[in-house]
Amino acid sequence: MDSSNDEALDIIITNVVATFRTRCHLNLRTIALEGTNVIYKPEVGKVLMKLRKPMITASIWSSGKIICTGATSEDEAKLGARRLARCLQKLGFKVRFSAFKVVNVLAVCSMPFAVNLINFTKNNRPIASYEPELHPAATYRIKNLKATIQVFSTGSLTVTGPNVQNVATAVEQVYPLLFECQKPLAKT
Amino acid sequence: MSAAGMRCPACGSTNIVDDDLYSQAQLVCVDCGSVVSEGVLANDPVGGSDVSFSRTTAVAKRPCTNLIKGELLPSKRSFSLLLQCNSVLLLVHFLKWICFTPTGQQRVKAICRILMVNREIEDLSQTYYKMAYEHKAFLKVSLQKKEILTGCCVLLSCRQLNWPITVGTISCLLDADSMAVGAIYQEMVKNLSIEAPIINVTDVIEAHCHEYKISSLDVPEELAENSRDLTKRAVALVELAADSWIVTGRKPIPIMMAATYLAWQSLKPNKHRLKFSLDKFCQVAKVKKLKSAMKRVAEIKEVLCKLGKEIPWVRETVTPDNVIQLVECILQNRYALLRRAMRTHEDALLEESQASCAEAPPEGTASSQISECADQTPITSFVKQNGSNSDGKEKPGDVDYNPRVLPEHSDTQESQNPPPNWGKRVLFAPPCVINAKKRRAVQPEHTDVTGDEEISDSEIDSYIRTPQEARDFALMQHMLSLSDSAKS
Repeated sequence: MDSSNDEALDIIITNVVATFRTRCHLNLRTIALEGTNVIYKPEVGKVLMKLRKPMITASIWSSGKIICTGATSEDEAKLGARRLARCLQKLGFKVRFSAFKVVNVLAVCSMPFAVNLINFTKNNRPIASYEPELHPAATYRIKNLKATIQVFSTGSLTVTGPNVQNVATAVEQVYPLLFECQKPLAKT
Repeated sequence: MSAAGMRCPACGSTNIVDDDLYSQAQLVCVDCGSVVSEGVLANDPVGGSDVSFSRTTAVAKRPCTNLIKGELLPSKRSFSLLLQCNSVLLLVHFLKWICFTPTGQQRVKAICRILMVNREIEDLSQTYYKMAYEHKAFLKVSLQKKEILTGCCVLLSCRQLNWPITVGTISCLLDADSMAVGAIYQEMVKNLSIEAPIINVTDVIEAHCHEYKISSLDVPEELAENSRDLTKRAVALVELAADSWIVTGRKPIPIMMAATYLAWQSLKPNKHRLKFSLDKFCQVAKVKKLKSAMKRVAEIKEVLCKLGKEIPWVRETVTPDNVIQLVECILQNRYALLRRAMRTHEDALLEESQASCAEAPPEGTASSQISECADQTPITSFVKQNGSNSDGKEKPGDVDYNPRVLPEHSDTQESQNPPPNWGKRVLFAPPCVINAKKRRAVQPEHTDVTGDEEISDSEIDSYIRTPQEARDFALMQHMLSLSDSAKS
């Protein structure tokens, strides 16, 4: 962030999605029978298991692939994943916790000013796109960071990226572009 | 052609006579009997067909078979009816009826003709369609997407050549979902790397107003309105709405509908018109009503009330019911009224903050008191930061939105109740900020999670059923399934 202004931007991470593998086949019916907080979805072929302590929902497939969603930080996602693996171990499966990877991070941020979306899109033409009839926010995609930023006219941002570092960098990159297209709050 | 001077191509004799077969004129050689020539079976109207060939949508030569799905065989009568139609909806039905399975190029042409765009736009959209059709991204898509692609090409060329048209109109013509149209449009723009300007609501509103059947030919005199006046008033209302945060981020069509309705009411604000609800107005004007238009009407009326209060010569209180009579006056002087309203609001806020600070026990200097009252953060100060986050601002900053420069407070407010958002402070703010949803307070104890901690057995056991519980559960499921099968 620029040291020239005293404003601090708060980036709140609202969701972290991570995957890992158990390297063994899992019997979904056993999990559904012997686990609490479990929802079995035979039509899709997966089991949803919810943990309380880190508030995490995991989708478990019989191949041993598991996706964890709902964590609020990368470390929390790892803790939740390990808890889950431990739980499956206790249920009797030969689980080996492996290939843990954070796949997606969703964060929200709020600019201290409103943004004129039409000017912002005009200035950043191919990278930014804005269709008010379809979605109220302008979308800004940063290719090298693989991050997508949705900018709302109130100054709120929604950022998604592969990890927290990219998300933070994306916000830093987009801040000056938004600053030059700001809308004064008091209209004259 | 006369029989004299002709030679039979078969035998070369000149003995050729008129020998009509029923209604068809024929020239027959007497010696060998071969038919030398024959007349037409049917007669075209004198002076050519009603629709000249250059204005029809038939193409002379066929492009490659990949682009062909069927044949377009419009009859002359359907075309003349088509061109006389004013209503877009009727045209859509005609398009579907006559275009049994048209080719892509023909469909693009048909859409352009229906929208009555100029030649440039038509040619440009044909070019785009060709480019897009042959692009590898669209080679293997479904037929429905290819149909939507035709509309997207027209939309893109209209935007580039400044012809105001909305996604809604195109999706109505194609009878497709506007989200699907939008998705394909964005994909096309990305794949062809074309830049297209964004449409402005004020440009489209003229075309929108024309759709309303509210001229003196269609409705009785007391409800009729000149299209030009209506458009002008509606444009002014939309500009006012844009200045006061109603337009940004919203779908344009409900706003235009609300503006047209209010413009119509305000042009002759008599009791009869004021009693007309939006529903009734849309019925009279033969336009399909949109649900969100009601909300926009309410929002615009609120803004008009705020400005109406500032008119110096209005004595009575301005309410949404009686503000329509003042609309003309408000719109004529809207900038002056906006400035006045802003100033009044700022003065009121200043008085309020001074009054509330005077009540609180005095701490520190007067200036810091004012800044404490005036400071606010849009998001709560329960910050969730990851340790590795390079942005790591541990202490949430207080941000000052007010254009008046006030000293920032560095000591943070770990407020239990979050301070009011900027929507409550400013006179005009987007409705989503004024009625902001309350945020669930984030638990701060997760900041010290590392991810590699020990997991105790007792924690895990809480997630596993005991064998007895498992047996009970299985039994219950079995009983439930039995009762279900007994019921059915």
